Amino acid sequence: MVDCLPVLLIVVPLGLAFAIPLFALFWKSAAKYIPPVALAFNLITSLLLLPRALENPVVVSIGGWRPPFCINLVAGPVGILFSTIIALVGLLVSVYALDYIHPAPFYIKEALCGKRGGVKEGATEKYHTLYLLLLTGATGVVLTGDIFNLFVFFEILCISSYALVAYLREKSGIESAVKYLIQGAVGSSLLLIGIGLLYGQFGTLNMADIAENIKSVSPISVFVPMVLIITGLGVEAAIFPLNAWLPDAHSSAPSSISAILSGIAIEVGLYAVVRVIFTIFGASSILLFLALLGILTLLLGEMCAFSQNNIKRMLAYSSIGQIGLILFALAIATSYGVTGGLFQLVSHTLAKALLFLAAGYMIYQTGSLQISALEGMGKKMPLTCLAFTIGAFSLVGLPPFIGFPSKFLIVRAALSTEETIFIVLISLVLLGTVIEGAYFFRVVQVLYFKGEKPNPPGKEAPIAALIPMFIFVVLIIVIGVYPKLITGVLNSAASELLNRLDYIRSVLG
Amino acid sequence: MSFLNNYIYYIGAFGLILIGLYIILVKHNLIKVIIGLGILDTGVNLFLISVGYITKGTAPIFSKPGIDSERMVDPVPQALVLTAIVIGVAVLALALSLAIRLYQHYRTLNLRKIREQRW
Amino acid sequence: MRRVISILLLIIVALGIRLSLTKIPFGTPKTKVGRYYIEEGIEETGAVNIVTSVVVSYRGFDTLGEVTILFIAAIGLGAVLSTVGEKTVREIEPASLVLYTGCRLLFPLILIFGTYIFIHGHLTPGGGFQGGAIIASGFLLIYLGCRERRISRVASNLAESLGGLAFVVIGLLGLVFGGYFLLNFLPKGTANTLFSAGIIPIIYIAIGFKVGSELAGIIDNLIEES
Repeated sequence: MVDCLPVLLIVVPLGLAFAIPLFALFWKSAAKYIPPVALAFNLITSLLLLPRALENPVVVSIGGWRPPFCINLVAGPVGILFSTIIALVGLLVSVYALDYIHPAPFYIKEALCGKRGGVKEGATEKYHTLYLLLLTGATGVVLTGDIFNLFVFFEILCISSYALVAYLREKSGIESAVKYLIQGAVGSSLLLIGIGLLYGQFGTLNMADIAENIKSVSPISVFVPMVLIITGLGVEAAIFPLNAWLPDAHSSAPSSISAILSGIAIEVGLYAVVRVIFTIFGASSILLFLALLGILTLLLGEMCAFSQNNIKRMLAYSSIGQIGLILFALAIATSYGVTGGLFQLVSHTLAKALLFLAAGYMIYQTGSLQISALEGMGKKMPLTCLAFTIGAFSLVGLPPFIGFPSKFLIVRAALSTEETIFIVLISLVLLGTVIEGAYFFRVVQVLYFKGEKPNPPGKEAPIAALIPMFIFVVLIIVIGVYPKLITGVLNSAASELLNRLDYIRSVLG
Repeated sequence: MSFLNNYIYYIGAFGLILIGLYIILVKHNLIKVIIGLGILDTGVNLFLISVGYITKGTAPIFSKPGIDSERMVDPVPQALVLTAIVIGVAVLALALSLAIRLYQHYRTLNLRKIREQRW
Repeated sequence: MRRVISILLLIIVALGIRLSLTKIPFGTPKTKVGRYYIEEGIEETGAVNIVTSVVVSYRGFDTLGEVTILFIAAIGLGAVLSTVGEKTVREIEPASLVLYTGCRLLFPLILIFGTYIFIHGHLTPGGGFQGGAIIASGFLLIYLGCRERRISRVASNLAESLGGLAFVVIGLLGLVFGGYFLLNFLPKGTANTLFSAGIIPIIYIAIGFKVGSELAGIIDNLIEES
C-alpha cells in the first residue's frame, strides 16, 4: 500500500490540473479551490510516507518493469523532505491566492498599480492550472530516479514559470519573461546534449545505473557531460553567472508567483544540481570550484540588493545571495555541511515566501514598488508589517528565528573542516550577513519609524492572506526555538545525498 | 575521408548547435533569436538520433514474423527525440506569443532597445 | 566585442564536445537497455513497433510529462494572448473558389489520415503525436482556405482536458488492478493485429485527440490575435 504512494504525489495533482478546465465549464469559480485541495492531499501523503522513507528509500517502478529497464521513483529522506516543503508552501500560497487573484472586477490586484492590462472574467482558471502544474513539476524533479525523466519534469517546472511570469501581461512582465525564456531554453538544450553524451557512453538512463558505471571510468572522460549538465541545471538554480534573468523575473511576476519562484523553483533547481554531482558523478574535484562560485554569488547578490530601491527587486537579489550561501554549504560535502545547507534551504523557503506574500499586499495598498513609499505602513497594516519584519530578521539570522540555527550550523561545518580556505570563505559569509542586515533593517526602519506622512494609505490585508502568513510565522518561530524537530530528517537526508553506494544498492538491489 | 564519412552526422549536428548558439548570443532582433533557438533544438535532436544509429541498421519494427533483429537500431533515442521535439515546439510557441505582446508594448523587436529594467 | 567573446566561447564548446565524441563511435551498437527492449519487447508488451512500446509502456511516464508540457504551452499561450474587451471586427477577404473548394475537399481526407496514423501507432511508424500534428494541419488548412470558419473553443478545451484525464485515469487503473502505475492490464492479443498490445492503442488515441485539439487551439489563438 505504501509503495504506490509516491506515484500519487505526482499523479493526483496532475490529474486535477487536467480537470480544472472541465470544472470551470460547470462552476465558474471552482478553479481556485482545486489547488489547495490537491496540495493538501500531497502534504498529507508526504507526511504519511515520512516515517517509512527515513528507514529505507521507497523505490517505485512505473509500469511494472524492473529497473534499469523502466523509470523509477526514489522516495528517500531528501525526496520526501522536499515534497513536504513544496506541498506546504504551495498550499499556503494557494490559500493566499484565493483572494489575491480576482476574477472580478476584471483585474488582478497588482495590475491596479497604474499599468494597463486586465484579465477577462473567468480567465483566472489558467493561473490556477499553471500554478498546480508548476508544483507538480517540482515534485516530479525531487522524486525521480531517471535522468531523462528529471529533464522532462524540469521542463514542466520551467515552462509553467515562463508563462506565469508573463501572466499580468504588462511591459515589465513580458520583457522579463522573454529574457527568462531564452536563457532557460538554451540551458535545457545544453542539459539535453549532456544527457545524450552520457547515454552514448553508458547505454542507460537510470541514475543508479549510470553511477554504477561511472565508478569504473576515469573522471576526465565524463568531464564534458558533467559541465554541460551543471550549466543546464544551473540556469534554473541561479548560480552566478547564469542568473541574469532572476532579478527581472522575480520582481515582475505577481507576488504569489514570486514567492513560489524564490521559495521553490530555484531550490529545486539547486537540488537537481546537487543530486547530479553527488549521486551520479560522485565528483569531489569540482566541489571547491562550486564553493567559490557560491561565495561569489552570495557577495554579488547581497551587494546588489543593498543598492536597490524597488522592494521586490531587493528581495530577488537577496534570493540570489541566499542560493549562493546554500551552494557553499552543500559544497563543503561533509555531513555537517550538507545538513546545514539543507537547513538553510528550508529556512530560506519559509522566510522568503513570507516576505513576498507580505510585500504583495503592501504594494497593493500603496500602489508603488518603491521602498520609500512604504513609510509609516507599520501603523496601518500592523499584522502584515510584523510578518515582514519577522521574515526579514529570520533571513538575517537572528535568534529565536529559524535563520539562526541554520547559519550557525553552516559556520560550524566550515570551521570543523580545518582547511584554511574554508575559514577564509566563512568570513566572507559573515560579511554577506552584515550587508544583508543593513538593507533589511533599512526597510524595517522605513516601515515603523518614519511616520511623517499625515495619512498613509492602506488597510489590513484580508483574512485569506493573513492565515498563511500567520502559519509561516508560527513555523519560523517554532522551528527556530526547537531545531531538533527537523534535524533528524535533515541528517538522514544529508547521509542519503552523500552515500552513493547505498543509493545504488537500494535501487538496483 | 572515411573520418568524414563516419562522423558526418555528428559534424552536422554540432554545426547546427554552434550556429544556433551563435545566433542567440549575437543577434539583436527577437525573431532571429527565436529562429536560432529552433536551429539549436534541431541540432540537439539530430545529435540524439545519431547516437543510436547502427551501421546498415533498419527500423525496430517487426512487420513480418521472423525478421532479423540483430541489425535494428536503438529505439530509446527515438523515444527521447519524440519528447524533445514536442518540448521544443512548446517553448517556441510560448516564445512567439511573448514576442507578439512585446511588440505591442514596445513597438520594436530590437533587444538592445528593450531594456527598461536596469539595476 | 560581443562577437569575439561569443566566437571564443563557441570554440571552447566545440573543442570540449569533440573530445568527448571519441567515446561515442558512430554506428556501433553501444547500449544494453536498447537491446533488451528489442529482444523482449514483443512478448512483454505485444506491440510490434518497438519505439511505440518504449514510448508508451517502458517510458510511459516521460510521455505523460510531454503531454503535460504541450498542455502548459497551450494554456500559457492562451493566457498571454487573450484579448480584453471588444474584439475589432475586421473585413476578411474571402479566398478564391479553387482554394475554398480544395480545402473543403481535402479536410476530411486529412482527418482520416491522421486518425489512421494514431490508431495504428503500435503496428506502423507513427503514433499519437504524429497523428495529432496531422489533424492540426488539417485545421490550419481550413483557417487558411475557408477563412470565416472557426473551431469552437468549448469543444477544443473539452477534447484537451478529456484526453489528458483519460491518460491519467488509465494509468491509475493500472495501479488499481496491478499495483503499478501504467501497468498494461488489458490482454495483449496476437501481435500484428489491430486489437493487440493492451492499453497502448487506447493511450495513443487519447494522445492523438489531445494533441490535435491543442495544436488547433494554438493556431486559433495566434490567428485571432493578428
